[in-house]
Amino acid sequence: MTPATRRLSPQALVSLAFRLREGGVLLALIAATLFFALRATNFLTVSNWQDISTDVAMVVVVGVGETMVILTRNIDLSVGSIVGLTAFLSSATLASGRGLPLVIIALVAMAIGAVLGLGNGLLVAWLRIPAIIATLATLSIYRGLLFQVHEVYGSDVFAFQLPHSFLYLASRKVLGVPFLAILALVVAFAGAAALRWTNWGRDFYAVGSNPEAARYHGIPVRRRVLMAFIISGMLAGLGGFMFAARFATVNVVSASGFEFDVITAVVIGGVNVFGGSGTILGVVLGAILVGTFTDGFILMRVSEFWKIAFQGFAILVAITIDALITQQLQEALRRRRRREVLAARDARAPST
Amino acid sequence: MSARRRLPAGLLPLLARWELVLILLILVAGAWSAVLSPYFLDAANLFDLTKPYIVIGLMALGLTFVVISGDIDISVASTLALTMVIFAQLWHGGANIGLASVIALAVGTLLGTANGFLVSVLNLPSLAVTLGTLAAYRGLAFVILGGGGVTGFPEAFTRLGFGYVGKSLVPVSLVILLLFGGALALLLHGTRFGRYVYAIGANREAARFSGIPVVRVRILLFALSGFMAAASGLLYAGFFGTARADAAGGALLDVVTAVVLGGVDIFGGLGTIGGVLLALLLVATLRNGMGVANIPGSIQNIVIGVLLLAAILAGNLSRAVRGRTVAAEATTQSRIPVRQ
Repeated sequence: MTPATRRLSPQALVSLAFRLREGGVLLALIAATLFFALRATNFLTVSNWQDISTDVAMVVVVGVGETMVILTRNIDLSVGSIVGLTAFLSSATLASGRGLPLVIIALVAMAIGAVLGLGNGLLVAWLRIPAIIATLATLSIYRGLLFQVHEVYGSDVFAFQLPHSFLYLASRKVLGVPFLAILALVVAFAGAAALRWTNWGRDFYAVGSNPEAARYHGIPVRRRVLMAFIISGMLAGLGGFMFAARFATVNVVSASGFEFDVITAVVIGGVNVFGGSGTILGVVLGAILVGTFTDGFILMRVSEFWKIAFQGFAILVAITIDALITQQLQEALRRRRRREVLAARDARAPST
Repeated sequence: MSARRRLPAGLLPLLARWELVLILLILVAGAWSAVLSPYFLDAANLFDLTKPYIVIGLMALGLTFVVISGDIDISVASTLALTMVIFAQLWHGGANIGLASVIALAVGTLLGTANGFLVSVLNLPSLAVTLGTLAAYRGLAFVILGGGGVTGFPEAFTRLGFGYVGKSLVPVSLVILLLFGGALALLLHGTRFGRYVYAIGANREAARFSGIPVVRVRILLFALSGFMAAASGLLYAGFFGTARADAAGGALLDVVTAVVLGGVDIFGGLGTIGGVLLALLLVATLRNGMGVANIPGSIQNIVIGVLLLAAILAGNLSRAVRGRTVAAEATTQSRIPVRQ
């Protein structure tokens, strides 16, 4: 009833809610930083933040793709397996001494990821298999493929087999900022721009908010869902390339469970699991929050096992808060609509 | 037009008897295994091949109820790990093993109830909730027990998971699974509560309007799923003789496959306990056969994954056929004039 809320358009009210949501993550991030700064030694050092940003970089890159999938009211559980598979393929190719330029390797990793994502997308969009089941199956299938590739290759890949130029990618810094973090920022900006300004990016929101309405509106729903999965796979491929550069040792279990880091970041960042709402800025903040906690726990010598439990509880808290916000918002909009209708009726029929 | 009509007519009776298809597939898988290894058809082997899948089966039975009601619970393997770890720590700390088991079952029920509360009362999507508790419960299991394991359970306890009934070839765990299967089949197919489950899965709103206590029933279903996961955790500890926090980490694929392959509609409203038990036997036979044929676990996982996808596709196909039949009936009925 306050004049401020009355003057806001519905769109402005919704976007205000999202700003508040992102602000909440930012506050949590500041609180966590303060806490660890006081309690953990070496937390506030430049090199520690360089470490955090390198780890966060991979989560952000894969998270941008996962965001697009979740926006369309789906989920991609197979990203960890795609990261593992492409990480192994990239590093094994480099280790076997083929003098290919790194850019080509990265592009091939992305292409392979895109094909794996296409597989997910076809299962979900065309064969109408629920995303959770389809990607649970491909999680196992893609991991199984990695086992096969590993068998053909014959061994794990180790750092000493990899060219220096590749390992340098992860340690290289531009003005103190790790190169991988800059790469992630570029991907995040591109993703945010696509979601904001391209037609297909806006369509992701429409498809997730109401698939039926999107169809009647002439949006090619299946093609958009397919596209989201392809992008998710492609970025997971890039994530795999980064993973190999960062950890330099790649084996059959590499990046298993990585999908959890990604989904946690995306959900904490305010992307609604019902689809239809969320921003890349939120996801980046969510990824930094998760990265800060992971790093802080390590510095405080808290068992790494707490991290898994923490991620689970964080997901629960985030979806609960989101559901409450959505509920309040819907109610506020409904109340306002009712007031408007009543006001219009009064205006049309003055005192009888 | 006529070709389109003939296809459903041929397919419908076949798909309507999904259990028959499963039995056929089990026979084919069994024949394949028998060709691969002369020992396969040995009675001892036939009984023993079910033993590693009892754990999967108990979780699948609980999940069946949740999926029929139109939800999903992907936290079952983590619930198994957490309850088993609590059980092991209690026993290790000197508690009576029977008491520890009862507490483990109670904790499992409680963990399931927590899922159910979030899903049913707060109206959150079950996929997201149980994805969260999948991580939370597994993490707590690690926090409680760390990376190590508890071993040395008394023989009377490990017999539940590993032993045989008397001097026969029948594993105790198989009897336990069949007892649970029978009881739950009665609950699902023979009681009002069971019909509520189907009604909620078919149309939650309609179920609410017809006076079914939807919120309460959904909580109970998740509680049941948690209880079954705890029960399978106890058998797990008995079968392997070790309780570990990373237990059953890759079990979810097999559990979901058993449920979906058993003919339970992933969108809710359809499915039978018998079908799930048959699907479990099919997965067990297939994995056993592949093991005999020296096919590595990673390829086995690929096969099971493909099987899961194929099962959903078959379900989609049958739904499309049914949908067309229903639509056809609806159009015929709409020609009948309605009197007010």
